[in-house]
Formats: sequence, structure tokens, C-alpha cells
Amino acid sequence: MRKLQILVLLVYAINYSQNKQVLYDFAGLPQTLMMNPGAEVDNKFHIGFPILSQISVQGGFTGFSTYDIFADNGVDINDKIRDAIHGFGKTEFTMVNQQLEILSGGYRLKNNDYLSFGYYQELDFLAKIPRDLVDLFYEGNTNIGRRYSMKKMTARAEMLGVLHVGLSKKINDKWQIGGRAKIYSSVFNGKTKQNKGTFYTEYGTNNIYKHNLENVDFLMQTSGMFLDDYDDVTPSYVQSKLFFGGNLGLGLDVGFTHHLKKQWTVSGSIQDIGFIYNTKDVETYQIKHGYYQIEGIQVYFDPNNPEDYWKDLKDDFDEKIVLDTIYKKYISIRPVKLNGAVSYSFGRPYYDDCRFLTSNELYTNKLGFHLYSTIGAVHSYLAATLFYERRVTKHLDTKFTYTLDPFSYSNLGVGLSTQFGAFNTYFIADNLLKLNNVYNAKSANFQLGINFIFNNKN
Amino acid sequence: MRYLKYISIFLISFLIKSCTKDVDFDQIDDASIKTEYISTLVYFNLTATNFLDEFNNEITSIGDIIDAPISDESQDYLEKIEFTIITENSFDRDFLVQIAFFDKNNTLIYTLQPDVYIPANTTTLTTIIEIPETDIDVIYNTEYFGFILSLLPSSDGSVISNSDTSTLNLKSSAKLFFNFRKI
Repeated sequence: MRKLQILVLLVYAINYSQNKQVLYDFAGLPQTLMMNPGAEVDNKFHIGFPILSQISVQGGFTGFSTYDIFADNGVDINDKIRDAIHGFGKTEFTMVNQQLEILSGGYRLKNNDYLSFGYYQELDFLAKIPRDLVDLFYEGNTNIGRRYSMKKMTARAEMLGVLHVGLSKKINDKWQIGGRAKIYSSVFNGKTKQNKGTFYTEYGTNNIYKHNLENVDFLMQTSGMFLDDYDDVTPSYVQSKLFFGGNLGLGLDVGFTHHLKKQWTVSGSIQDIGFIYNTKDVETYQIKHGYYQIEGIQVYFDPNNPEDYWKDLKDDFDEKIVLDTIYKKYISIRPVKLNGAVSYSFGRPYYDDCRFLTSNELYTNKLGFHLYSTIGAVHSYLAATLFYERRVTKHLDTKFTYTLDPFSYSNLGVGLSTQFGAFNTYFIADNLLKLNNVYNAKSANFQLGINFIFNNKN
Repeated sequence: MRYLKYISIFLISFLIKSCTKDVDFDQIDDASIKTEYISTLVYFNLTATNFLDEFNNEITSIGDIIDAPISDESQDYLEKIEFTIITENSFDRDFLVQIAFFDKNNTLIYTLQPDVYIPANTTTLTTIIEIPETDIDVIYNTEYFGFILSLLPSSDGSVISNSDTSTLNLKSSAKLFFNFRKI
């Protein structure tokens, strides 16, 4: 039970969206360069604490929360399950994204450009669940004539290692631009989309009922998922795939920071413009234009012509719903993430080393608006965030966010970044309104990490 | 540093002291999702020739089999099966249908009870037969089904002739009662 609780906490204390709205442009952290390679950092060089420079686990489920089902409130669990199913939207999502920064570093070049590099591992899973499939499971198919569609059923799963190197370049006092090149090495990749098809049961002519499968299209591309021998999947196998032994790909992040006016700043970035060329252990499953109807097995009672009814039925099904297995290499496009923000800085600093540099002026407060969007073959969405950032002391930066996204209209987030000498730690969490009962959260977001950041004075 | 202290206290109390309300994961033991699925089954449309041999002598019993091994994947959750059989008989004779389950050794392991009795000259007649939970486990050894159709003797000694245009029709379906619960 303890394990279940921990799992539930992990899954629900996280944000399915991959939107790191608190981290974006926060406190000049080196990790902000991962979200916007054109972000401004003013340090001389930095080293992330190996494996601990960024731990990010995100995930969630839009359908219902743990508390909806397991609340100890005297209501029968089956009534709570029924209510949760009835509240299920037309399509709900479940998602898990985990990132572990294994190496991270950077230093300022002689020409004042900031070079950053590193390696991280990422695990990503997303599935869209149409209500029709939930109803078919929960209510069965006794509702004659009800059509159950699998049209919105999509999913993606991926595990990969990413080696990256980026450059943030100051063009002039108003413009900072940057780019980051990435090499992806995929352990496995799977994607199913553009699925459609309808299942329904109606009253038959020759028999009581007739089952129908109509207009069935299905496509699932996989690499590294279906193997001849799963005994080979050892930690060293995964390691070798993560470190360039897997299916390889290339990616690019680009970004900018622009000081519109003295206190106004605009920034934006596009992450993961890239692809992976899947060539190893590739299997694609496809059904095209499948139609099938069955009223049952007609029994002839003819001893002179005995029928193999079951075989005939299976053959007929396989003929009408043809599942092809294709071993063709394919390209998978990474979900692209877009960030855009505008901010207004104000208030004089108490300390000279305040990081909020706007046209070389120093401010302690920053107020702004951030838009995030992810565009993928399987799933796309938009989130909007209002944020306020304050440098409390020279050792402490804070940031508060209010985010609207498909999950919630009341997502409050907070970020803390402390620095003593070169030693930097940061902690970020959102969905604070649900923290008084994390079981009731459909999403939240944790990131934490340790860096050694050396400024010019260190 | 004072700020740090206050913020730390705030965060720790927020995250640890009041981070959950009462939940009871043991409730999962009481969770039970009951679902019913219907499936079409066999049907037949028989005429006089089905009950006559090559010499036009009456055959009192005919049979057929369907090789359809039952998968045991759902064994833990299937509680009951209910068969619905709808018959129409325009013959002037009564029929009896027996449905039997055989294992891979051709051993009879289960017979649907009662047999389906089809009286003479009946329009739509519905018979419902149930395999109760106590008998469910037996059917998972099923390798094939046998259908035995018996033509019962007439009261006046009359027999079916080649020119008889009567028909015997049977339609059937099964309703499967699942209870998805913690095993």
C-alpha cells in the first residue's frame, strides 16, 4: 500500500504538460538556457552537480484525481468510480515525462558568448483516451445501436538520451540570441495516431444481434519495442542505446531575448525542432479500411459437408480486418515546444549584483506574461502564465506564477533559487492550491537541482 | 537570512504537515465494476430435407460441432453467462436441442440445462438458460461445442415428408456478466 501511495504521489504531484513555466527565465539559472538558448545569463561558468543538476518528473491525468476515488468520506468507492466515469470528458489524457540531467556545464567565451553543453535522459509517455472506450469497458455493449468510436485514441512513448551544445550570443544591448544543437539517441519509440473506426451492435436479420466494425484505420509505428529476446534488455543495453547506440536523430533549439524599452523585455524560443530516424528494431502495424460484420455462426447440420466453423470465422475476420506488419524505417518528429514571454522590470536593487539586467539597469522586480505551447503529432496544447519574480536578497530569488492550462484555471506556482558563493540550489513546484491535498490534484510540477555557478566575482 | 528561515518554515509546513487529506487506499478491496457484454452466437434455418436421409426416411437426431476453445483470460472476472435462444417452428413436430461442451479429450464436461424444448407450430419462443457462477470454471476446459437436435415422435405417427415446406429456425446470443474486482 505504501508503494501505491508513493506512486500515486509521484504521478499526481506532477504536471503532464512539460510546461516548466516557473523555470522559464528564472533567476538566471543555467537551466533557463535549456528552455531558451537565447536567455541571458551573466555568470562566468557553471557546472551542474552530476545527475542532480535537474531532476524533473511530470505527469498526470485529466480525467479524475486520486482523491475523487479514494477519499475516506464514507461514500462507497463504487459510487465514486461511477461519478468519476460520468465526469469523464470526450477525451482525457494521461501523461508522464521524466528528465534527468546527467551532465551540465557552460562557460563564457572570450568574445562574451556563453557556451553551454550537457547530456540528459528523457522518458515520455502520453495517451489520449476517448470516452467511448471507457464507456465500452464500464457499461459493456448492451446499449444496442450505440456507436463506440476509437477516433481520438492516440499515444506516444519514447525514451532517449540527448547530447547538446548551445551558444547564447549578445548582439548588442537590446538583443541576445541563441541556439542549441542536439543529438538524440532513442532507446525506444512508439506512436499511434490517425486511428479511427466504429464498433456497434444492432439487432440482426438472421440472428438476434449483429456486431459491426466499420471504417477501421490503425497505424502504430514502433522501434526498439518489439524485440526477439527481452532477456537482452539489461541496464547495459539501455545505457548503450542512450549513449548513441540507439536510433539517432538531430534537433535544434533557437531563442532570443529582446529589450524593447528600458524596462520591457520580450523573449521567445522554439525547442526540439528535430527528428529521429528509426532504423533499428522497427515494426509498424497497420490496418487500412477494415470492415467486418458478424451475425454469428450458421450451423448447417450437414454430416456430408462438415464445416470448420471457427477457422472459417477467423479467416473471414483476418481477410476483412487485415493487420499488416511492416519493417520499414521511419522518421519520428519530436514534439516542438514554443515559449514566448513579455516582462516589465521595476524597483531598484538593494545589491549591486542583482541579475535582472535590462539595458544594463538593475531591478529587483519583474512582472510578466508567458505563453507556452507544445505542438506534436499526437497532442498539442496551449498554456498561459502570469508571473512575478523578486530578488529578495543577493542569496535568494523567488518567482510566483499563475497558470491557465487545459488542466486547471487556478494553478499557482512558486520557485526558489538560493546561491551562497558558487553553490546554487533551486526548487520549483506548482499547483500550490492543491498542496493542502495533493491527492486532489490532477497535475503539479516539481523540479529541483544543484549547480555550481561562478560569477565574475567568485 | 531571515527571509530564508521564514520561507523554509512555510514550505516545510505546507509540504509535510498539510499535504494530504484522508484517503483510504484499502477501499480498492471493495471496488467492483460490473459490466455486461452481449455476443451473437449460432443460428440455423432448417427445412424438411435436414431431417430426411437419401431414402427420404426420417432422421430422428442430427448434430454438428463447433471447434471454439474458450480462453481462460477472463476466468477471474466472469461470473455468469446467460444464453438467449429464440426459436420458430412451423413443423407439426416437437424438437429438442441439446448443447454440450467437450474438452480436448472429447469428454463431455458440461451440458446446458435444461435442454431447449421447441413445441410444434410455435412462433417466436424465447428460452433463457444460465450457466451459474458455480459452474463457470468447468467451461474453461472447453475445446468444442456439440449441438444435438432431436426430432421428437409425433403423437399420431405421422412423419416429415419431402414436400413439407415447414421450417425450424433458431437464433441465439450470450450475455456475459463480468465483475472486475481485486482478485
